[in-house]
Amino acid sequence: MPTILSELSGIEARNERYMSLHVLTKLFIPFSIALSILFASDLYSALTLVFVALALIVAAGIPLSSIKRYVVVIGSLTSFIAISLFLFARIPGKVLFEACLVRFEAEKGVFEWKLYITDNAVMYASVFVSRIFAMVLSAMLLLGTITDREIVWGLRSLGLPFGASIAVSLFFRGIRLFVSDFLSIREAMTARGVDFARESLIKKFALYSHALIPLLALMITRSYEVSLALETRGITPQSKAKVVYHRYGFSRLDAALMLLFSVLTSLYALGWMI
Amino acid sequence: MSRERKVSWIHVVTFAFATAISYVLGVVSSLIFPVLGAPGVSALYVAAAIYVPLGVWMGMWGALAGYVSCFFLGLYPSGYSVIQSAVWSWADFIEALVPAVLFRLAVKDPDFAVRRPKAAKLMPLLVSLGTALLLVGIVVQVLWGAAYGEPFTTIYVYSVYAGLALSVAGILTGLLVGDAKTWGVYVVSVILASVFSGLWGAGTLTIVNFPPPLPKEAFWPVLVGWVIGDLIVLSTIGTALVVALTELFKRTGLYVEGWWA
Repeated sequence: MPTILSELSGIEARNERYMSLHVLTKLFIPFSIALSILFASDLYSALTLVFVALALIVAAGIPLSSIKRYVVVIGSLTSFIAISLFLFARIPGKVLFEACLVRFEAEKGVFEWKLYITDNAVMYASVFVSRIFAMVLSAMLLLGTITDREIVWGLRSLGLPFGASIAVSLFFRGIRLFVSDFLSIREAMTARGVDFARESLIKKFALYSHALIPLLALMITRSYEVSLALETRGITPQSKAKVVYHRYGFSRLDAALMLLFSVLTSLYALGWMI
Repeated sequence: MSRERKVSWIHVVTFAFATAISYVLGVVSSLIFPVLGAPGVSALYVAAAIYVPLGVWMGMWGALAGYVSCFFLGLYPSGYSVIQSAVWSWADFIEALVPAVLFRLAVKDPDFAVRRPKAAKLMPLLVSLGTALLLVGIVVQVLWGAAYGEPFTTIYVYSVYAGLALSVAGILTGLLVGDAKTWGVYVVSVILASVFSGLWGAGTLTIVNFPPPLPKEAFWPVLVGWVIGDLIVLSTIGTALVVALTELFKRTGLYVEGWWA
């Protein structure tokens, strides 16, 4: 059964033991890491979370090579954080590097814009970057281990009406449908003489914008077809499922993992309060 | 006898598909036109051109499409944690909620027919440029003007006056495009939606979240990038879509007069 990450980017979690955990456990683990990030205020606690998340990703059998997809995100966030802290803030501490970029006499004093790097600013940036690593890994763990079918079953077993579970299911199916629709529209535009490779960025932006009108018109047609098919089955968005065909077992391992990660988050919260 | 309006499958299905389109476009926009260092934030967030007009056409369904697509965009490829993404995504909910509320309160039956095409082309330029100048002026004053005085105060004053004049000219041009009430409300919606969603989005990325992924010093650059990007997208692509598709939504019965149905 493909996971959400596999639907979006083709990355599969391979460990069957982890994948057979109860959906609540698989939701709870990344959620508890995400909550712990809130309390990770120093470098060591943030790095511990990074290692915990990394260990879980390995345990779930998500290929570590998939982190490559997040390299741009982590790189741009890191550089932005460094720029923000070194160029737009003056964090006190032992000065490691200082360079004046702009200096002039303003009405109420001398205006100075400096590149100002202190040991505390570097430490502060490191905490942010480590938290980002933990954040990215927790998101990867969540999407890499939950399948869209589990979400749909989860919603049904919670007793929510068909409207909610079918909307979720259609959302995931819709992503692939509209990527293929968009490619068809793009091909149709190319067939009429548009050369996307040669156009400037602004022209490309305008061309892609034009593609949205047929895309939305197709969406309306498709919505009609799907909703008519649903109507003919005699169910309404408000109807609720009387029968659930699949039940998840909640094992001892599930209970142990939920307890373990509750303790982890509580420890982080305690450490933060003290 | 008034006909009772109920949520039907067409609303649910259109919402699900529109969310999927918004998500795909959100991913593409944040990869092609990123605000560097703020994943998921795009200088030209094309997805807004789907769920904001959807707010006009389908009320709360548009706001919900904005929230869900932004939530998944936050998780992948932006890499925010599930809690950060859940808080941050209200930015796109607010963005579609503004036109949904304004149109349901002020214009029940919008008429987006264009009677003066030149005014329709000029309006996005004036509105975007005016609001962007206004925002830049405010940023200059908050960051430096208050502390250092001149020359920042002069930059602030000129930017705000020029920005205000251009924005007002944009709103007036908007009134000339076609039905004055519809277009007036639309231009105000575009400006308010961009500003409110930018405040929430940049605020939850830098100041208030569990924890904010970026330092608070990044607030202003993210806010400026967010608001200007949304203004450009909503006033150009968003306008093209409401002009081209409003009648289709009405004709097919997809147009929602109330909040949900």
